[in-house]
Amino acid sequence: MTTLTLSRSLNEGLRRALEDNPKALIMGEDVGKLGGVFRVTDGLQKDFGEARVIDTPLAESGIIGTAIGLALRGYRPICEIQFDGFIFPAFDQIVTQLAKMRYRSLGSVRPPIVIRVPFGGGIGAVEHHSESPEALFAHTPGLRVISCGGPADAYTMIQQAAISDDPVLFFEPKRRYWDKAEVDIDGGLAAALPMDRARVLVEGSDATVLCYGPMVRTCAEAAVAAADDGRSLEVIDLRSLAPLDTETIFASVRKTGRCVIVHEAVVAGGIGAEIAAQITQECFYSLEAPVLRVGAYSTPYPPSRLEEHYLPDLDRILDAVDRTFGY
Amino acid sequence: MSVLKEFKLPDVGEGLTEADIVRWHVKPGDTVAVNQIIVEIETAKAVVELPSPYEGTVASLLVPEGQTADVGTPIIAVDTSTVGGAPTVGGTPPGSPPEVPAEAAAQREISNFEDLVPAPPVEGASEPGMIGSPAPKAERQAVLVGYGVKLGTTSRRTRKTTPRQDGNGSAGSPPAARPAPAARPAPAANGARGGAALAKPPVRKMARDLGVDLAELTGTGPRGSITRDDVQQAAAASQAQPVPEQIRIVTTPAAPAGAREERIAIRGVRKHTAAAMAASAFTAPHVTEFLQIDITETMAATARLRTLPEFADVRVSPLLLVARALIVAAARHPMINSSWDEAAQEIVVKHYVNLGIAATTDRGLVVPNVKGAHAMTLPQLAAALAQLAETARAGKATPADLSGGTITITNVGIFGVDTGTPILSPGEAAILAFGQVKDAPWVVDGELAVRKVCTLALSFDHRIVDGDLGSAVLRDVGAMLTDPLRMLAWG
Amino acid sequence: MAVKDAGRAARSAERARAREPERQADPTELIQLLTPEGERVEHPDYPLEISAEEIKALYRDLVIVRRIDFEAIALQRQGELGIWASLLGQEAAQVGSGRALNPRDMAFPTYREHGVAWCRGLDPMKLLELFRGVSHGGWDPTEHNFHLYTIVIGSQALHATGYAMGIQRDGAVGEDGEAVIAYFGDGATSQGDVNEAFIWASVNNAPVVFFCQNNQWAISEPLERQSRTPLYMRAKGFGFPGVRVDGNDVLACLAVTRQAMQAARDGQGPTLIEAFTYRMGAHTTTDDPTRYRLSAELEAWKLKDPIERVKQYLIRTEQAEMSFFEEIEAEAAAEGARVRAACQQMPDPEPISMFDDVLTTETLQLEAERAGFAAYLDSFVAEDAASAKEGR
Repeated sequence: MTTLTLSRSLNEGLRRALEDNPKALIMGEDVGKLGGVFRVTDGLQKDFGEARVIDTPLAESGIIGTAIGLALRGYRPICEIQFDGFIFPAFDQIVTQLAKMRYRSLGSVRPPIVIRVPFGGGIGAVEHHSESPEALFAHTPGLRVISCGGPADAYTMIQQAAISDDPVLFFEPKRRYWDKAEVDIDGGLAAALPMDRARVLVEGSDATVLCYGPMVRTCAEAAVAAADDGRSLEVIDLRSLAPLDTETIFASVRKTGRCVIVHEAVVAGGIGAEIAAQITQECFYSLEAPVLRVGAYSTPYPPSRLEEHYLPDLDRILDAVDRTFGY
Repeated sequence: MSVLKEFKLPDVGEGLTEADIVRWHVKPGDTVAVNQIIVEIETAKAVVELPSPYEGTVASLLVPEGQTADVGTPIIAVDTSTVGGAPTVGGTPPGSPPEVPAEAAAQREISNFEDLVPAPPVEGASEPGMIGSPAPKAERQAVLVGYGVKLGTTSRRTRKTTPRQDGNGSAGSPPAARPAPAARPAPAANGARGGAALAKPPVRKMARDLGVDLAELTGTGPRGSITRDDVQQAAAASQAQPVPEQIRIVTTPAAPAGAREERIAIRGVRKHTAAAMAASAFTAPHVTEFLQIDITETMAATARLRTLPEFADVRVSPLLLVARALIVAAARHPMINSSWDEAAQEIVVKHYVNLGIAATTDRGLVVPNVKGAHAMTLPQLAAALAQLAETARAGKATPADLSGGTITITNVGIFGVDTGTPILSPGEAAILAFGQVKDAPWVVDGELAVRKVCTLALSFDHRIVDGDLGSAVLRDVGAMLTDPLRMLAWG
Repeated sequence: MAVKDAGRAARSAERARAREPERQADPTELIQLLTPEGERVEHPDYPLEISAEEIKALYRDLVIVRRIDFEAIALQRQGELGIWASLLGQEAAQVGSGRALNPRDMAFPTYREHGVAWCRGLDPMKLLELFRGVSHGGWDPTEHNFHLYTIVIGSQALHATGYAMGIQRDGAVGEDGEAVIAYFGDGATSQGDVNEAFIWASVNNAPVVFFCQNNQWAISEPLERQSRTPLYMRAKGFGFPGVRVDGNDVLACLAVTRQAMQAARDGQGPTLIEAFTYRMGAHTTTDDPTRYRLSAELEAWKLKDPIERVKQYLIRTEQAEMSFFEEIEAEAAAEGARVRAACQQMPDPEPISMFDDVLTTETLQLEAERAGFAAYLDSFVAEDAASAKEGR
């Protein structure tokens, strides 16, 4: 085991992906020489060459569009969109082309592209650097949408994405890039939790807390605080937003009877809404309280001096837990 | 008087959490000007030079070279009262902007803008990708390992009041007061819109299972909702009607003079029983078989049992031996003691007997059961049956008493009839009806005699029990009641 | 301060001549009116009559703009700003073009045009607010005819073009008409939006000048990753004139922009101006250019400093005394100190203001969220709230 930052874990995972498959490519703005604005692709161009680690022109639509072309030719592009807020020029290529090509071709054409997106806020940035657009993609059939919560999952999930035959949107919690944890570099993927499964991070009995990405650590911290209040929270890292691991989710909610869903994204129309609807439908008789959601308000992301009020934190999460016990 | 200002390590690059102090450019005692470079730090992204926010004299360096500091840690303390080189009497008022004398600022002037531009190394530079990258940090890594993951916070901020318990998270409504639980359920007064009762899903299900009508209750939960306790108390109260031992005639209320019809609302236990019966009747294919038996020996045995000291304190009726016979028959034919699990597509054969005894109350039919009747001795069974009757009479049958039955006996004899076609208790495969015992002509050893005779009727679920099995069970029961010693032989 | 413009009639003939694309065939040609050494040179297509006072005024602009930028970098390093995008090295391109605008012309910047903001009269504190995270800009574009900063690359090129199409529909065309200037960098020329803007501006003959500050780098990617051809030549493919100017020469930028803006006002359609300059600093304060740039390149560009050449010119031609330079330095230092102090004291916005200005009329949903948030904030013990938020 080695202690690595999440950023470094991704770097190691990408390195494995390039080593294991000569057709794997990395492409994006500033990913080559600079090694990425968060150093996630550091050193890879030096070791694998400019043909495989590509500094692209400044055009997100171009990145995804040409990646599709490369994939049609048999390559496996791992694209980077530099920041969440810049994915929108590429939205058309992702939604109208990437998501639909397999379906359109009755399975003949399979563009296995990974799109890495640093997402989420809490880094004191200007506009468009702190967005959480994952629901837009989870709502688009034909895409897999995943997000890692920590270094160990980052290491395995990026490799699993790289070998998936489906297009994968991989949302990386940028405020957690410098978090460190133990990672089994030599562990291999055989024993790793599959990409489409959720992970029970903390076992508990009083309420289920569902989260992903940057909120995983916040919810784990909330569970510690809740224990001081005498409440036992079960924290689940969803990891996969499309598809959802409903088996794990429902088993937990049936056990605890209460559920709080936490994400940085706006609550209205967010992923939490879909999960809450499914839980209500399938676990109706187990629910002691309605499913509650904690997330951002229905405003654009505010200036960074206000972002701590906008983003869910430990207090807001536990406030919601309190409210579920009020029924 | 010195005024110390601390400079805290800033996040210099979009979410960085820590940095290494590489090299101090000043030492304690040095004068320092605003924007003068004081330290070089190394982050995960870059090597960065930090300019001083203060003018004054360096008081102390708070983090040594080579150490890693978290963002927000004070790294240097500057005495700002020494602006201009000499300590100022009174010092700079706290909170006011540090003074920047035009001359001092001009001396460290714009030509120094280069200090703020990361300067690449000069000669020998061949590959930009290599130059300027952070040096291999193999040794540093060891230092970093010790610091571990930086936690955000694991404690809550203090709230003014105890957190709201009303379940409503939006506008600040005051916490709902919890009224004392009602002693008896009162007619619906929960103030819900349109009279619809408020209760959460598991409570509604429980109410349905227990035959409690939510509309009749006053809820003691948040916002007047009905709680589990409310439902259970209501269910228990509905049992609190006297149950006479023998024939019970249920009288209907007298119709008002002149009315052609009277409507009685379908509620409560009756409603639940009706639903259960209907569900049972229409899901389980019922077949009823009849057997008329000579029960004279059982009646005599019953009388003799009453004289035994083991039965001194307990009521003994023929029902005791009927119960025992059925339990023995179930042991001989386990499939009769099972249930049909539609959801799992399985027949669940029970290897224990919770014997239900149908009881009639003013509100309708309820079937409490004796748990583990198969394991009881005859005196224990007698006591249990008596207890059951007692409980039902006192209205104290609990939901646990009323659920979990595996096979049932219904004594229709108390109504003065010979037999009937009983309906299965939901979830069971068989029910035995025991009719009235009367004197009747019988053939004994080829000669007419007057014997005590009664009719047994066994209804069974034909999905589980075929004619063969059902008949065998009925025959066995009949045989044991005709000659009670068979119970000893078979049980 | 506006620079006087004389001999319009003569000039319009010159303008017509200058728009012949063939004259720009030499790809190394840079329009230059002031050499790096501070020598004044003439260009036949861009005659410039300018007084000593006007040049000294430009010098003052350049020095103060640089000083504010320097101060902002330091403030970021001291934790007072979240981030800063430095314009170091690009002062002449911005001041030259900024001072070429008429008051009623409209400017659409990216996020680095602090020099243009200065020329337009926008208080630098509004820019610091944005980079400090107190607002997303928050100024009214119509007050100084300077649109809000657009951080998404290239988007504003289309906004500028549409605005120009509005000017046409208003009939504000002619000698006293209005025109639009759209700023973007070399990297932005790869974005679809910028190319679409070229299409729309050209087929509609819209009164918009596209001012591209080619500072050679888009974060770590050099120009050759964005284009195979000199950028100013791209315009020809879209059917409108392109010209390359020495972006470190404030006089050339002034003259070329002035001419292009007048052509636009006159109804002659768009021009692409490529201001050939260099990003002396990092992309932003989170960037480390030592990872991808050679020092030799930086050193070479130091010799082309935009401010130094003006100073040398004024000294050599004896149009300014030493005292003038000292006054300007003092004024710049004072402005720097003012900006520093104002930034350090800048209050955080009220948390509840987060809910303002989402829509014209607030929805019930938002009203409920606002009220819920207010109650939530109110539910905490006061001193804990203050210290807890501060510590994060």
